[in-house]
Amino acid sequence: MDYQLSQLEEWDEKICDIAKKHGLDWFDITYEFIDYFSMIGAMAFHGLPSHFNHWSFGKSFERTHHMYNMGMEGLPYELILNSNPSLAYMMRENPFYLQILIMAHCVGHSDFFKNNRTFKGTKPETIVGRCRAAKKRFQAYVEDPSIGIDKVEAAVDACYAVQFQIQRPGWIRRSRSEIIEVHKEKLKADPEYPDLDTSKNPLAPDYDILGFISENAKLPDWKRDIIEVCRDEGRYFWPQIQTKIMNEGWASYWHYTILHELDLPPELHVAFVKSHNQVIRPHVGGINPYHLGFHLFQRIKQRHGIEECFLAREVHHDASFVRQYLTQEDCEELNLFSYSKKKNGDTSVDDVSDEEGWEEVRRDLVKQVGGGSIPVLYVEEAKKNGDLILCHEHDGRDLELSETKSVLEHLYRLWDDRVILNTIIDGKYQKIEN
Amino acid sequence: MSVFKEHKTNADRVASDRRRHKQKIDKAIRDGIHHIVSDESIIGQDGKKKFRIPVRGIKEHRFVYGNNGKQVGSAPGTDVKRGQTIGKKDRSQPARPDKPGSDSGEEFYDVEMSLDELAEYLFADLGLPDLERKQLTNITSHKLKRNGYRTEGILPRLDKKKSAIARIKRMKAAGFDPDAAEEGETFPFHEDDLKFRHYKLKDEPCTNAVVFFVMDVSGSMDQDKKFLARSFCFLMYQFIRSKYENVEVVFVTHDIEAREVNESEFFTIGTSGGTFASTGLALVNKIIEERFHPDSWNLYAFHLSDGDNFDSDNGAYISQHALLESQVQLFGYCELEPDRSYSQEEKISRLLFPRMRENSRCVTIKSKEDVFPAFQSMLGSSKGSA
Repeated sequence: MDYQLSQLEEWDEKICDIAKKHGLDWFDITYEFIDYFSMIGAMAFHGLPSHFNHWSFGKSFERTHHMYNMGMEGLPYELILNSNPSLAYMMRENPFYLQILIMAHCVGHSDFFKNNRTFKGTKPETIVGRCRAAKKRFQAYVEDPSIGIDKVEAAVDACYAVQFQIQRPGWIRRSRSEIIEVHKEKLKADPEYPDLDTSKNPLAPDYDILGFISENAKLPDWKRDIIEVCRDEGRYFWPQIQTKIMNEGWASYWHYTILHELDLPPELHVAFVKSHNQVIRPHVGGINPYHLGFHLFQRIKQRHGIEECFLAREVHHDASFVRQYLTQEDCEELNLFSYSKKKNGDTSVDDVSDEEGWEEVRRDLVKQVGGGSIPVLYVEEAKKNGDLILCHEHDGRDLELSETKSVLEHLYRLWDDRVILNTIIDGKYQKIEN
Repeated sequence: MSVFKEHKTNADRVASDRRRHKQKIDKAIRDGIHHIVSDESIIGQDGKKKFRIPVRGIKEHRFVYGNNGKQVGSAPGTDVKRGQTIGKKDRSQPARPDKPGSDSGEEFYDVEMSLDELAEYLFADLGLPDLERKQLTNITSHKLKRNGYRTEGILPRLDKKKSAIARIKRMKAAGFDPDAAEEGETFPFHEDDLKFRHYKLKDEPCTNAVVFFVMDVSGSMDQDKKFLARSFCFLMYQFIRSKYENVEVVFVTHDIEAREVNESEFFTIGTSGGTFASTGLALVNKIIEERFHPDSWNLYAFHLSDGDNFDSDNGAYISQHALLESQVQLFGYCELEPDRSYSQEEKISRLLFPRMRENSRCVTIKSKEDVFPAFQSMLGSSKGSA
């Protein structure tokens, strides 16, 4: 380490002053300094300081560790948890100037966690305690001779398979009585409104597959607990999936702004600019969220002023953010293009960002950002005979078949009866069973 | 103001999850390994050589899109044109075993392991049947065993911790307090404080076993059959090597007469000619009589043949087999018949099967895929099947 923690404290004070002056409003931040090995460990658990055990975290660790050792992948400079206070892991080995950059970056993230609307339901005050308590309970299930590790593991495998097939931030999930109430209102306004079949369960499509199973399947308490914990975790992480571009863009925008006002000594400043450019460089053939987010926040400020930036950070998520703010000029500047794999197995370009193509490119981009690459499925009906009927909202993209079957196997284990999925493959309506 | 702190512990939080993941990988290796054991590249290699073995990763299943959707990316420059092909189909599909269409992004780990390690995975749950301890003979192994401590010994065996503890004990007993000691006053080691680890040479009685491989190398044993026979012997040989120290192995080949050969000859040479299968077993019986008395040795014999034998030799084969069977723990007969064998002649297996006793096994290998199952059933508990 080429620095002392006390030196960082000095710079932190300056960073906080500048950030406050600009109107940022963040959770207090606790910086923990760890070595690379612990960083890989922390990454496996997405920064949660305490978490129940599951082999998939071991797999994640092995993969990161392997990539890092092979030099194929660097480690992130920091890892910040959406908690109150914010918990940020810092790599001890990072050079001094980089730690300053990261601290400014973390202030941006923490402000985003605190103020962006999608994060409203994440309960950052209690996340650490929730996870710790769940870990203890799961450990007890593992040690319980009537349950044991294999059953616990299988249940977690199954829950993780559909962890994000739940209510996404901003989506409304109505209870039975609420649906009936809403239907009455509609009927009042329009006597022709179609009847509601109240014998059906659920009354309306339920996008919270885990929630539906938890409420409707016959389950032992421990299994329901595992489902609820995984579901809670899914809800906790959804906002981060939905706002990856904005979150990184906002944090990059602020580390850039703050560091320019910090009066860094010239040698630190040069190093900082280099690191910054490294972080926000475009990824050829893909989207670097840092790059796109940073670019957009800069343009929004130029076009509409800084107040618009603060408004955007509060009310948008990636999909709406891109739809609202990405212009033809941006598409051209970023050289965005869309491509797909064709029937003959080759990959070719579909649209480029010129006059007639850019809107199509933006539409495709909106589909893929903010968790858009996670298919949308819902519970259509739990039949009297025990069948669970799921539907896939097909938007032109087919589900991958063998994976789908494996997930249905998992769901079968939770639901304990037949699970049937309706979808479209190659333009044909298909029923897939576990 | 933010809070800065050093992380309290460097404990490996992921240790147990990694262990669990490794267990799953191990299982995947065991489950997927069988198709490679009869691979040409492995047969005839020595134990230290490393092989790269593709192992299917433990997958986390999710609902995901297939590849008919569009992707958006940024181009390095402005020269991207509509309709431009930017990726060719990979027509040289990497030959992953057992793998129809590798589009679904299945993860593979290339695990590198030596033949010895491979043997560990393969043979984890298998053992030679009835390996009872016979009378001990001159084969014993000497092993160094720890045997307490002594106050005398050579320096490399000095146990520093024990010695330090002995000194502290003596110091406490003497009432010496190093904190209260005067300048320059110390409490040095005494000779009696020094503790040396003591080792004793122990004779380990060990089980004596000898394994006979008899292979038909006559003209009717074509390349395919010979290859299957070698695969089987090689597997069995590796198995025995991995499980038992001090196992003697005897290789015998026969056409119309039998020869004792060494390992490399056994796995490589080929001859031509007719078949007197009885000569192979006769030679084994002779070797047993001369060198390996059944009272002091566990004997195992395996005969590999395509089942064709001169009719006139069948009687002799049966009597040699009966003699051999009465002396060995296990007699395994392995018949190799790649598809083309539809001859109605009497095969050795048909001759043998009704006459087999409890300690004989009979298996058939038709293709590469049969090698490992045949091997397993040879070591399993049932009488075997044709």
